[in-house]
Amino acid sequence: MSETIDIHAPGVEVKKSCCYFCHQNCGVLAYVKDGKVLKIEGDPSHPTNQGGLCTRGNIALLHLDHPDRINYPLKRAGEKGSNQWERISWDQAISEIAEKLNQIKAESGAEAVATAGGTLRTEDWARRRFMNMFGSPNGFHNALLCWIPTFMVETAVSGWSPFETDLADSRCVILWGFNPGASGMPSMRGYSDLKKNGLKIIVVDPRYSETAAHADLWLPLRPGSDTALALAMIHVVIYEGLANMEFVNNWCIGYEELAQHVAQYSPEWAAEHTWLEPELIRQAARIYAKSSPSNIQWGCTADQLGKTAGAGMHARAVLRAITGNLDCPGGDLMPGPAMNYVTDEELEANEWLPEEQKAKQIGADKFKLCSWPGYQLISDICKETWGKAPTAEWMCEAHGPSVFKAILTGDPYQIRALLVSATNPVNSYGDAKMTLEALKRVEFMVTCEYWMTPAALYSDYVMPIAGALERPTIHNNYGVTDSLLASQRAIQPLYERKTDYEFWRLLALASGQDEDQWPWETLEEVFYYVTYSFTSLGYQFNSYDEFVEKYRFYYPPLHYYKYGNNGFCTPSRRVELKSSILEELGYPSLPTWIGPAENEIDDPELAEEYPLVLTTGGGFMPYHHSEQFNISPLRFLRHDPYFTINPIKAKELHIKDGDWCWIETRRGRMKQRANVEPSVHEKVIYAQRGWWYPENGPEGDAPYGCLESNVNMLSSVDDEHCDPIGGSWANRGLLCKVYKVKYGDEPDIQFSIPGSSKVPGVTVMPSDQRLAYELIPYNPLPTFEVPEGLTWDKGTKIAWDLERGLAYDPDSGWLYDPETSVFFDLETRFAYDPETETLVDEAGTHYDMTTKQPLGDITPAVADVEGGE
Amino acid sequence: MTRYAMVMDQRRCIGCQSCTVACRTWNDLPMDIMFNPVVSEGVQGVYPNVHQVFTPLICMHCDNPPCTICCPTNASQQDEDGIVWVDSTKCMGCKVCVNACPYGARDVSALDPFLKSFVRKCDFCKDRVREGEQPYCVATCHQKARIFGDLDDPNSEVSKLVGGLAVTTIFPELGTEPQVYYIPDLGGAK
Repeated sequence: MSETIDIHAPGVEVKKSCCYFCHQNCGVLAYVKDGKVLKIEGDPSHPTNQGGLCTRGNIALLHLDHPDRINYPLKRAGEKGSNQWERISWDQAISEIAEKLNQIKAESGAEAVATAGGTLRTEDWARRRFMNMFGSPNGFHNALLCWIPTFMVETAVSGWSPFETDLADSRCVILWGFNPGASGMPSMRGYSDLKKNGLKIIVVDPRYSETAAHADLWLPLRPGSDTALALAMIHVVIYEGLANMEFVNNWCIGYEELAQHVAQYSPEWAAEHTWLEPELIRQAARIYAKSSPSNIQWGCTADQLGKTAGAGMHARAVLRAITGNLDCPGGDLMPGPAMNYVTDEELEANEWLPEEQKAKQIGADKFKLCSWPGYQLISDICKETWGKAPTAEWMCEAHGPSVFKAILTGDPYQIRALLVSATNPVNSYGDAKMTLEALKRVEFMVTCEYWMTPAALYSDYVMPIAGALERPTIHNNYGVTDSLLASQRAIQPLYERKTDYEFWRLLALASGQDEDQWPWETLEEVFYYVTYSFTSLGYQFNSYDEFVEKYRFYYPPLHYYKYGNNGFCTPSRRVELKSSILEELGYPSLPTWIGPAENEIDDPELAEEYPLVLTTGGGFMPYHHSEQFNISPLRFLRHDPYFTINPIKAKELHIKDGDWCWIETRRGRMKQRANVEPSVHEKVIYAQRGWWYPENGPEGDAPYGCLESNVNMLSSVDDEHCDPIGGSWANRGLLCKVYKVKYGDEPDIQFSIPGSSKVPGVTVMPSDQRLAYELIPYNPLPTFEVPEGLTWDKGTKIAWDLERGLAYDPDSGWLYDPETSVFFDLETRFAYDPETETLVDEAGTHYDMTTKQPLGDITPAVADVEGGE
Repeated sequence: MTRYAMVMDQRRCIGCQSCTVACRTWNDLPMDIMFNPVVSEGVQGVYPNVHQVFTPLICMHCDNPPCTICCPTNASQQDEDGIVWVDSTKCMGCKVCVNACPYGARDVSALDPFLKSFVRKCDFCKDRVREGEQPYCVATCHQKARIFGDLDDPNSEVSKLVGGLAVTTIFPELGTEPQVYYIPDLGGAK
């Protein structure tokens, strides 16, 4: 019988830790005695989960001391991938890694060292700090598939991403490609509660998801066609007169052009692309616009649509603005950077990275918004506005797939070292075959991991990293919100595990960086530094642990209409429906339709061979990304990967429930089992993400079964399929076919660049690959002659009289005051008086319109007083 | 008097199976024992007019439990507050109660030779409940789809729900008088 554990026994401490198995970071109470965690449970007083814990949260103790965990630094002892290791000390590992990195830097430049990150499992500002001081711009994450391009597009349009939904006062929320029922348990509870109180929920999802089941209105669109839906909704709002014209007139620029531009995107037009009835689109737009204050909740879908993604983000940003739902009670709030604590960006030391190194960032020449060119524009305005900028780690990164391609091709230059932290790129980045080959071929690789993943297997060094209960955590939404949630360590790391922060710090010191730049030895010291300024707000604590125990979180009071003071944080201080930042970077300045990466309308021939539409990348319980496939109580719930197919299509293809089938796109094929269910359209296939088989062992060309059921065999990272704006690659809306697995079918492991090439290997060099559309050369020069004495501002595209704050109207040749709308004569700067149809100077003297001579007799009283002049 | 009961709000259950895993880790259950599975017939209907209902199962802690009457050693027993539990020191693993329970709520593990020797079942986390806490599956449910409390207390949430809503029970025709109630979900998206 299992021994009874008494969590109330004397000597048992309660530590306020957190769950670390998705981004919610739910509060966890850990009962600790003698450095051992006895039990964990959800923290009832935590604002996020209020005591709840999902499947993933509940396995924390199994994760903590799982027999497969990596507990000591490992050095490769045999061939790459042979799984032969020598246990070494941290000191030896760090000094050898530092030496090798310095050697590569000396021979090939710092940019030859790249780092890959995973989801929020790490202190990534520390990785950035290391890379900035080392001199390489080539850090990256899977950021481009998860919120980051959305954040940057929305920030370009409205000055900060309006991601904080103020649901308590809201009347309608659109959950757009977002399924909290399988990926955000605490939010799902919130939606159920609010729905009971009358909140209208509109769900946009091609699949009848756990969340769609709770919707008031469900829009089951064709996967990948979200952008068409958003454009059609703008059309309805504008042409049915549902726009909030007060907000638009006062705070938006580009509305007229937008209205003309979206005239073409009627619901009837969208019907063909989205497979939705025009009336359903109208209904959704009307509910959203008329229920104001209402919200659009971001979902991962936005960032996984490939080339159509950027326009969709822009369209949703526009939709919020023209309905007046920005930063108002019940609307989508824009918190801005944290003013009351140290932000991640301030810890990143971005000023250390020299300009010439920024220019070498891989992918920045093609995908400009989420790399240095776009980030620089946005961060400059933010710093001007707040003195603080969004996090650069995440928001300003190399293009991950392009780095893998650079490893294989040496184009634009050879990447020689890859430092991998908290990610299993074969399963989480697009084009798995190509990624796996890059991991096999890279000259030098170090992986910071919990488990022996395929990436770790091909590494030269594998470092043991502390997990959930072994490290303190601050949750602050990637460093771009003004609140924070704090958690403490339950216990010190077991065995020889260290936090990833300590890894980067030790590596920094060993590779010659100044100890003064890394003054904090532990994460607690960093976090004390981060939160220290709360003491000036009346919080009383002398250490980070004390802050957690006493306060646990910091939520500043909500401020609405923050733009009222200085306008929005954009070049024109208005919401730029027509975005000058996107225009400056060479992208369409208004949201412009481009079809999903592969679709039956643009490419009917392809659709004949691949008649079905694939959607993937969505979360499903109990896994998170490619994690937890080796945790038995979770694997027990879902042992095998399943794809969903409509019963009508399944019957047509002779597929029965549970059959193993190949799903194939132009780029490859992988197998999953059939879940025959009417939750998707007849032409849609929904496949599960993340699958690998840790139990299959490290043998073979594709160890741990990492390609067998891996949905990234099907996704595309070819430049022509990526979104030119943000660089997102395509997981959703791809064309595929499905057929049953037969005896003797060969696995698919040959990589090619581009992925759709029939010839294995590299057939087109990355720099010769085309983008989905040509960038539009940005011409910041005025289209009219700027009169003498005026200054041309390329941001607002207005010639200004800076002295008086007057703008020049090239059509009439007059100057005007944008705030009072009073016109002024260009030559004399006299104001126009519409009552008398004369000019009048500051002293009140009237002048003739054409001769500019004083007119004494029109207003005698004034003329008398001023007559002496 | 106290009479513990549970209400499952199927309108809120999303089938995440957190309760299943939480129970397993909290009670250190072997892999072949599951106190509270969540079952569903899958998505029903014709796309896009479909719906899905999840049913969390658990020991019903019946008012008239067949599993205690049949126990030859009195190991399977019911306390005054309605909690049905098995005293592992008395149980000899004969499995009569396993066959008697119409809800499949109890079993013997085949995995561990030691665990084979007695029947395991949900006891409403009686150690927690009698300390004034919620059963762990209730505490862990993010969706607040499980409501636990004292049916004899007219102010408790369970007695209000059971008294005020159209609740159902499973196999009421058997006369076991199950004390786990269900608020049915009548459909999905409109």
